[in-house]
Amino acid sequence: MAELMARMAEIAVSRHEADVLVALGLGSCIGIALLDRASLVAGLAHVVLPESRPGGTTPGKFADTAVPELVRRVSGLGGSASGLHAVLVGGAQMFSAGAALDIGRRNELAVKAALATAGIPVTTTLTGGNAGRTMRVHIGTGLVTCKQAGSREQTIAVRDAGRLRAAA
Amino acid sequence: MELNEMQLDGLREIANIGSGTAATALSSMLGRAVDLNVPKALALELADAVDAVGTPDADVTAVVLGVMGDLDATVVLLFDPTSAETICSLLGVDPADPEMALSALGEVGNILGSSYIGAMGQMAGLELEPSPPAAVSDMLGAIVATALAATAVDTDFALLLDSEMLVEDAECAFGVLFVPSSEGVGRLLTGLGLAEAA
Repeated sequence: MAELMARMAEIAVSRHEADVLVALGLGSCIGIALLDRASLVAGLAHVVLPESRPGGTTPGKFADTAVPELVRRVSGLGGSASGLHAVLVGGAQMFSAGAALDIGRRNELAVKAALATAGIPVTTTLTGGNAGRTMRVHIGTGLVTCKQAGSREQTIAVRDAGRLRAAA
Repeated sequence: MELNEMQLDGLREIANIGSGTAATALSSMLGRAVDLNVPKALALELADAVDAVGTPDADVTAVVLGVMGDLDATVVLLFDPTSAETICSLLGVDPADPEMALSALGEVGNILGSSYIGAMGQMAGLELEPSPPAAVSDMLGAIVATALAATAVDTDFALLLDSEMLVEDAECAFGVLFVPSSEGVGRLLTGLGLAEAA
Protein backbone atom coordinates (compact mmCIF):
# COMPACT_ATOMS: atom_id res chain seq x y z
CA MET A 1 0.00 0.00 0.00
CA ALA A 2 1.31 3.41 -0.89
CA GLU A 3 0.12 6.48 0.99
CA LEU A 4 0.17 9.51 -1.27
CA MET A 5 0.28 12.65 0.86
CA ALA A 6 -1.64 15.80 0.01
CA ARG A 7 0.22 18.22 2.27
CA MET A 8 -0.67 21.92 2.64
CA ALA A 9 -1.50 23.36 -0.80
CA GLU A 10 -0.79 20.01 -2.54
CA ILE A 11 -2.98 17.78 -4.72
CA ALA A 12 -2.65 13.98 -4.92
CA VAL A 13 -4.37 11.81 -7.54
CA SER A 14 -4.35 8.08 -8.31
CA ARG A 15 -6.19 5.22 -10.01
CA HIS A 16 -4.20 2.36 -8.48
CA GLU A 17 -6.05 -0.02 -6.20
CA ALA A 18 -3.24 -0.19 -3.64
CA ASP A 19 -3.00 3.59 -3.15
CA VAL A 20 -4.42 5.68 -0.35
CA LEU A 21 -4.63 9.46 -0.65
CA VAL A 22 -4.02 11.18 2.70
CA ALA A 23 -4.43 14.67 4.14
CA LEU A 24 -2.99 14.67 7.68
CA GLY A 25 -4.13 17.13 10.32
CA LEU A 26 -6.66 19.31 8.54
CA GLY A 27 -7.46 22.27 10.78
CA SER A 28 -8.87 25.35 9.08
CA CYS A 29 -7.71 23.79 5.79
CA ILE A 30 -10.18 21.75 3.72
CA GLY A 31 -9.58 18.36 2.15
CA ILE A 32 -11.55 18.01 -1.09
CA ALA A 33 -11.84 14.39 -2.24
CA LEU A 34 -13.03 14.01 -5.80
CA LEU A 35 -14.44 10.55 -6.53
CA ASP A 36 -15.62 9.09 -9.83
CA ARG A 37 -18.63 6.75 -9.77
CA ALA A 38 -17.49 5.23 -13.08
CA SER A 39 -13.81 4.49 -12.38
CA LEU A 40 -11.15 4.07 -9.70
CA VAL A 41 -9.73 7.53 -10.33
CA ALA A 42 -9.77 9.84 -7.32
CA GLY A 43 -8.05 13.01 -6.20
CA LEU A 44 -7.48 14.86 -2.95
CA ALA A 45 -6.66 18.56 -2.57
CA HIS A 46 -5.47 20.20 0.68
CA VAL A 47 -6.81 23.74 0.38
CA VAL A 48 -5.38 26.43 2.69
CA LEU A 49 -7.22 29.67 1.84
CA PRO A 50 -10.40 30.77 0.05
CA GLU A 51 -9.32 33.14 -2.70
CA SER A 52 -6.25 33.30 -4.91
CA ARG A 53 -4.33 36.47 -5.69
CA PRO A 54 -3.24 37.31 -9.25
CA GLY A 55 0.06 35.71 -10.22
CA GLY A 56 -0.14 32.79 -7.76
CA THR A 57 1.84 29.71 -8.74
CA THR A 58 0.41 27.11 -6.36
CA PRO A 59 -3.11 26.29 -7.59
CA GLY A 60 -3.72 23.75 -4.80
CA LYS A 61 -3.48 26.42 -2.13
CA PHE A 62 -6.70 28.33 -2.86
CA ALA A 63 -10.27 27.07 -3.16
CA ASP A 64 -10.97 28.91 -6.42
CA THR A 65 -7.87 27.55 -8.19
CA ALA A 66 -7.63 24.15 -6.46
CA VAL A 67 -11.02 22.89 -7.68
CA PRO A 68 -10.34 23.38 -11.44
CA GLU A 69 -6.81 21.97 -11.01
CA LEU A 70 -8.12 18.93 -9.11
CA VAL A 71 -10.73 18.32 -11.84
CA ARG A 72 -8.04 18.66 -14.52
CA ARG A 73 -5.74 16.16 -12.78
CA VAL A 74 -8.55 13.65 -12.13
CA SER A 75 -9.77 13.94 -15.73
CA GLY A 76 -6.19 13.52 -16.92
CA LEU A 77 -6.12 10.07 -15.28
CA GLY A 78 -9.36 9.10 -17.02
CA GLY A 79 -12.01 10.26 -14.54
CA SER A 80 -15.41 10.74 -16.14
CA ALA A 81 -16.83 14.24 -16.33
CA SER A 82 -20.35 13.19 -15.33
CA GLY A 83 -19.56 10.73 -12.53
CA LEU A 84 -17.61 13.05 -10.25
CA HIS A 85 -18.73 13.93 -6.75
CA ALA A 86 -16.94 15.61 -3.85
CA VAL A 87 -16.43 14.84 -0.17
CA LEU A 88 -15.35 17.73 2.09
CA VAL A 89 -13.50 17.46 5.41
CA GLY A 90 -11.97 20.19 7.59
CA GLY A 91 -12.70 23.89 7.85
CA ALA A 92 -12.54 23.87 11.66
CA GLN A 93 -12.04 26.86 13.90
CA MET A 94 -8.96 25.68 15.77
CA PHE A 95 -8.35 28.73 17.97
CA SER A 96 -10.74 30.95 19.86
CA ALA A 97 -8.52 33.98 19.17
CA GLY A 98 -6.18 35.31 16.52
CA ALA A 99 -6.02 35.97 12.81
CA ALA A 100 -7.02 32.42 11.84
CA LEU A 101 -10.42 32.83 13.51
CA ASP A 102 -12.66 32.74 10.47
CA ILE A 103 -10.57 30.99 7.80
CA GLY A 104 -12.19 27.56 8.20
CA ARG A 105 -15.69 28.78 7.51
CA ARG A 106 -14.57 31.02 4.62
CA ASN A 107 -12.66 28.09 3.13
CA GLU A 108 -15.77 25.91 3.22
CA LEU A 109 -17.93 28.54 1.52
CA ALA A 110 -15.31 29.15 -1.17
CA VAL A 111 -14.80 25.43 -1.84
CA LYS A 112 -18.56 24.87 -2.17
CA ALA A 113 -18.86 27.84 -4.53
CA ALA A 114 -15.98 26.58 -6.70
CA LEU A 115 -17.49 23.08 -6.86
CA ALA A 116 -20.88 24.55 -7.80
CA THR A 117 -19.21 26.50 -10.60
CA ALA A 118 -17.58 23.28 -11.81
CA GLY A 119 -20.95 21.49 -11.65
CA ILE A 120 -19.75 18.88 -9.16
CA PRO A 121 -22.17 17.80 -6.41
CA VAL A 122 -20.98 17.57 -2.79
CA THR A 123 -22.22 14.25 -1.41
CA THR A 124 -20.68 14.31 2.08
CA THR A 125 -19.52 17.17 4.29
CA LEU A 126 -17.70 16.82 7.62
CA THR A 127 -16.69 20.41 8.31
CA GLY A 128 -16.68 23.10 10.99
CA GLY A 129 -16.41 22.49 14.71
CA ASN A 130 -13.09 23.03 16.45
CA ALA A 131 -11.20 19.76 16.05
CA GLY A 132 -8.49 18.76 13.59
CA ARG A 133 -9.13 15.85 11.21
CA THR A 134 -7.15 13.41 9.10
CA MET A 135 -8.77 12.27 5.84
CA ARG A 136 -8.01 9.18 3.74
CA VAL A 137 -9.30 8.12 0.32
CA HIS A 138 -8.83 4.38 -0.27
CA ILE A 139 -8.63 3.91 -4.02
CA GLY A 140 -9.20 0.13 -3.96
CA THR A 141 -12.36 0.09 -1.83
CA GLY A 142 -13.61 3.56 -2.74
CA LEU A 143 -14.03 4.40 0.95
CA VAL A 144 -13.34 7.84 2.41
CA THR A 145 -12.40 7.85 6.10
CA CYS A 146 -11.96 10.58 8.67
CA LYS A 147 -10.24 10.55 12.05
CA GLN A 148 -10.51 13.30 14.64
CA ALA A 149 -7.87 13.79 17.32
CA GLY A 150 -8.54 11.37 20.17
CA SER A 151 -11.19 9.30 18.36
CA ARG A 152 -11.37 6.35 15.99
CA GLU A 153 -11.18 6.43 12.21
CA GLN A 154 -14.66 6.37 10.65
CA THR A 155 -15.90 5.71 7.14
CA ILE A 156 -17.78 8.79 6.01
CA ALA A 157 -18.37 8.22 2.30
CA VAL A 158 -18.10 5.72 -0.55
CA ARG A 159 -17.29 6.13 -4.21
CA ASP A 160 -20.58 4.70 -5.42
CA ALA A 161 -23.34 4.39 -2.83
CA GLY A 162 -25.78 3.01 -5.43
CA ARG A 163 -23.50 0.16 -6.38
CA LEU A 164 -22.82 -0.62 -2.72
CA ARG A 165 -26.54 -0.92 -2.03
CA ALA A 166 -27.06 -3.11 -5.10
CA ALA A 167 -24.30 -5.45 -3.95
CA ALA A 168 -25.71 -5.79 -0.43
CA MET B 1 10.83 34.54 0.16
CA GLU B 2 14.56 34.66 -0.46
CA LEU B 3 16.51 35.22 2.72
CA ASN B 4 20.29 35.30 2.80
CA GLU B 5 22.52 33.82 5.51
CA MET B 6 22.99 37.15 7.25
CA GLN B 7 19.25 37.69 7.49
CA LEU B 8 18.67 34.15 8.76
CA ASP B 9 21.42 34.73 11.34
CA GLY B 10 19.74 37.92 12.49
CA LEU B 11 16.38 36.15 12.77
CA ARG B 12 17.95 33.28 14.73
CA GLU B 13 19.53 35.83 17.04
CA ILE B 14 16.28 37.65 17.69
CA ALA B 15 14.56 34.30 18.33
CA ASN B 16 17.36 33.47 20.75
CA ILE B 17 16.85 36.70 22.67
CA GLY B 18 13.07 36.32 22.65
CA SER B 19 13.12 32.73 23.84
CA GLY B 20 15.96 33.44 26.31
CA THR B 21 13.83 36.08 27.99
CA ALA B 22 10.84 33.73 27.91
CA ALA B 23 12.90 30.91 29.47
CA THR B 24 13.93 33.21 32.32
CA ALA B 25 10.29 34.13 32.93
CA LEU B 26 9.28 30.45 32.97
CA SER B 27 12.18 29.62 35.26
CA SER B 28 11.00 32.08 37.92
CA MET B 29 7.42 30.81 37.49
CA LEU B 30 8.48 27.18 38.07
CA GLY B 31 11.35 27.81 40.48
CA ARG B 32 13.79 25.70 38.47
CA ALA B 33 16.25 26.15 35.65
CA VAL B 34 14.99 26.17 32.04
CA ASP B 35 17.47 25.40 29.25
CA LEU B 36 17.26 26.56 25.69
CA ASN B 37 18.47 24.97 22.46
CA VAL B 38 19.83 27.17 19.67
CA PRO B 39 16.75 28.35 17.75
CA LYS B 40 16.23 27.48 14.10
CA ALA B 41 15.19 29.99 11.45
CA LEU B 42 13.41 28.03 8.72
CA ALA B 43 12.25 29.52 5.44
CA LEU B 44 10.25 26.74 3.81
CA GLU B 45 7.45 25.96 1.43
CA LEU B 46 4.14 25.61 3.25
CA ALA B 47 3.95 21.82 2.84
CA ASP B 48 7.47 21.36 4.20
CA ALA B 49 6.93 23.79 7.07
CA VAL B 50 4.49 21.52 8.91
CA ASP B 51 6.80 18.49 8.55
CA ALA B 52 9.74 20.54 9.86
CA VAL B 53 7.87 21.17 13.11
CA GLY B 54 6.83 17.56 13.78
CA THR B 55 4.63 14.60 12.86
CA PRO B 56 1.40 16.09 11.47
CA ASP B 57 -0.95 13.62 13.17
CA ALA B 58 0.83 13.59 16.55
CA ASP B 59 -1.30 14.58 19.56
CA VAL B 60 -0.10 17.83 21.09
CA THR B 61 -1.32 20.57 23.35
CA ALA B 62 -0.72 24.01 21.92
CA VAL B 63 -1.02 27.53 23.25
CA VAL B 64 -1.55 30.08 20.50
CA LEU B 65 -1.15 33.85 20.84
CA GLY B 66 -1.69 36.41 18.13
CA VAL B 67 0.81 39.25 17.86
CA MET B 68 -0.49 42.67 16.89
CA GLY B 69 0.99 46.13 16.60
CA ASP B 70 3.83 46.91 14.20
CA LEU B 71 3.67 43.42 12.72
CA ASP B 72 1.26 40.49 12.50
CA ALA B 73 2.49 37.15 13.74
CA THR B 74 1.44 34.10 15.68
CA VAL B 75 3.26 32.50 18.61
CA VAL B 76 2.62 28.78 19.11
CA LEU B 77 3.84 26.75 22.08
CA LEU B 78 3.77 23.00 21.41
CA PHE B 79 3.77 20.44 24.24
CA ASP B 80 3.76 16.68 23.76
CA PRO B 81 1.31 14.94 26.17
CA THR B 82 4.03 14.01 28.71
CA SER B 83 5.52 17.50 28.82
CA ALA B 84 2.07 19.04 29.16
CA GLU B 85 1.38 16.78 32.17
CA THR B 86 4.76 17.53 33.71
CA ILE B 87 4.42 21.28 33.51
CA CYS B 88 0.92 21.11 35.02
CA SER B 89 2.23 19.01 37.90
CA LEU B 90 5.10 21.47 38.46
CA LEU B 91 2.49 24.22 38.73
CA GLY B 92 0.43 22.19 41.20
CA VAL B 93 -2.40 21.60 38.73
CA ASP B 94 -3.98 18.15 38.29
CA PRO B 95 -3.18 17.15 34.69
CA ALA B 96 -6.14 14.74 34.73
CA ASP B 97 -8.52 17.70 34.81
CA PRO B 98 -8.43 18.80 31.16
CA GLU B 99 -10.05 22.18 31.75
CA MET B 100 -7.65 23.11 34.55
CA ALA B 101 -4.70 21.76 32.56
CA LEU B 102 -5.56 23.84 29.49
CA SER B 103 -6.08 26.92 31.63
CA ALA B 104 -2.70 26.44 33.36
CA LEU B 105 -0.94 25.92 30.03
CA GLY B 106 -2.70 29.00 28.68
CA GLU B 107 -1.20 30.99 31.54
CA VAL B 108 2.26 29.55 30.83
CA GLY B 109 1.77 30.56 27.20
CA ASN B 110 0.67 34.03 28.20
CA ILE B 111 3.80 34.64 30.28
CA LEU B 112 6.20 33.01 27.80
CA GLY B 113 4.62 34.63 24.75
CA SER B 114 4.48 38.11 26.29
CA SER B 115 8.10 38.02 27.39
CA TYR B 116 9.20 36.55 24.04
CA ILE B 117 7.59 39.24 21.91
CA GLY B 118 8.44 41.96 24.44
CA ALA B 119 12.15 41.17 24.09
CA MET B 120 11.83 40.79 20.35
CA GLY B 121 10.04 44.12 20.00
CA GLN B 122 12.65 45.87 22.08
CA MET B 123 15.49 44.53 19.97
CA ALA B 124 13.82 45.34 16.64
CA GLY B 125 12.38 48.66 17.82
CA LEU B 126 8.79 47.51 17.20
CA GLU B 127 5.65 47.91 19.30
CA LEU B 128 4.26 44.40 19.70
CA GLU B 129 1.16 43.41 21.67
CA PRO B 130 0.05 39.84 22.44
CA SER B 131 -3.58 38.79 22.13
CA PRO B 132 -5.05 36.57 24.87
CA PRO B 133 -3.84 32.96 24.57
CA ALA B 134 -5.96 30.07 23.32
CA ALA B 135 -5.00 26.58 24.54
CA VAL B 136 -6.05 23.54 22.53
CA SER B 137 -5.25 19.81 22.42
CA ASP B 138 -5.31 18.44 18.89
CA MET B 139 -3.20 17.14 15.98
CA LEU B 140 0.06 19.00 15.45
CA GLY B 141 -0.61 19.44 11.73
CA ALA B 142 -4.05 20.96 12.26
CA ILE B 143 -2.63 23.50 14.71
CA VAL B 144 0.51 24.46 12.81
CA ALA B 145 -1.20 24.56 9.40
CA THR B 146 -3.94 26.80 10.77
CA ALA B 147 -1.35 29.18 12.25
CA LEU B 148 0.50 29.17 8.92
CA ALA B 149 -2.65 29.74 6.85
CA ALA B 150 -3.14 33.17 8.37
CA THR B 151 0.35 34.20 7.27
CA ALA B 152 0.33 32.62 3.82
CA VAL B 153 -2.01 34.84 1.84
CA ASP B 154 0.62 36.46 -0.36
CA THR B 155 3.39 33.91 -0.32
CA ASP B 156 3.89 30.16 -0.65
CA PHE B 157 6.75 30.32 1.83
CA ALA B 158 6.63 30.38 5.58
CA LEU B 159 9.23 31.66 7.98
CA LEU B 160 9.35 29.77 11.26
CA LEU B 161 11.50 30.71 14.21
CA ASP B 162 11.61 27.48 16.20
CA SER B 163 13.07 27.33 19.74
CA GLU B 164 13.12 24.38 22.09
CA MET B 165 12.98 24.75 25.87
CA LEU B 166 13.83 22.08 28.42
CA VAL B 167 12.86 22.21 32.07
CA GLU B 168 15.75 20.93 34.17
CA ASP B 169 15.28 17.68 36.13
CA ALA B 170 11.82 17.14 34.68
CA GLU B 171 10.37 15.29 31.70
CA CYS B 172 9.39 18.49 30.00
CA ALA B 173 10.54 19.81 26.65
CA PHE B 174 8.46 21.99 24.37
CA GLY B 175 8.70 24.08 21.24
CA VAL B 176 8.10 27.78 20.83
CA LEU B 177 7.27 28.87 17.29
CA PHE B 178 7.18 32.44 16.07
CA VAL B 179 5.40 32.70 12.70
CA PRO B 180 5.34 36.20 11.20
CA SER B 181 3.21 37.17 8.21
CA SER B 182 5.19 37.73 5.02
CA GLU B 183 4.92 41.48 5.61
CA GLY B 184 5.98 40.90 9.21
CA VAL B 185 9.22 39.24 8.08
CA GLY B 186 10.11 42.43 6.21
CA ARG B 187 9.32 44.63 9.21
CA LEU B 188 11.40 42.43 11.48
CA LEU B 189 14.37 42.59 9.08
CA THR B 190 14.02 46.35 8.71
CA GLY B 191 13.97 46.69 12.50
CA LEU B 192 17.17 44.66 12.69
CA GLY B 193 18.82 46.78 10.00
CA LEU B 194 19.00 43.79 7.65
CA ALA B 195 16.43 44.71 5.02
CA GLU B 196 18.96 46.01 2.52
CA ALA B 197 21.11 42.91 2.57
CA ALA B 198 18.75 41.02 0.23
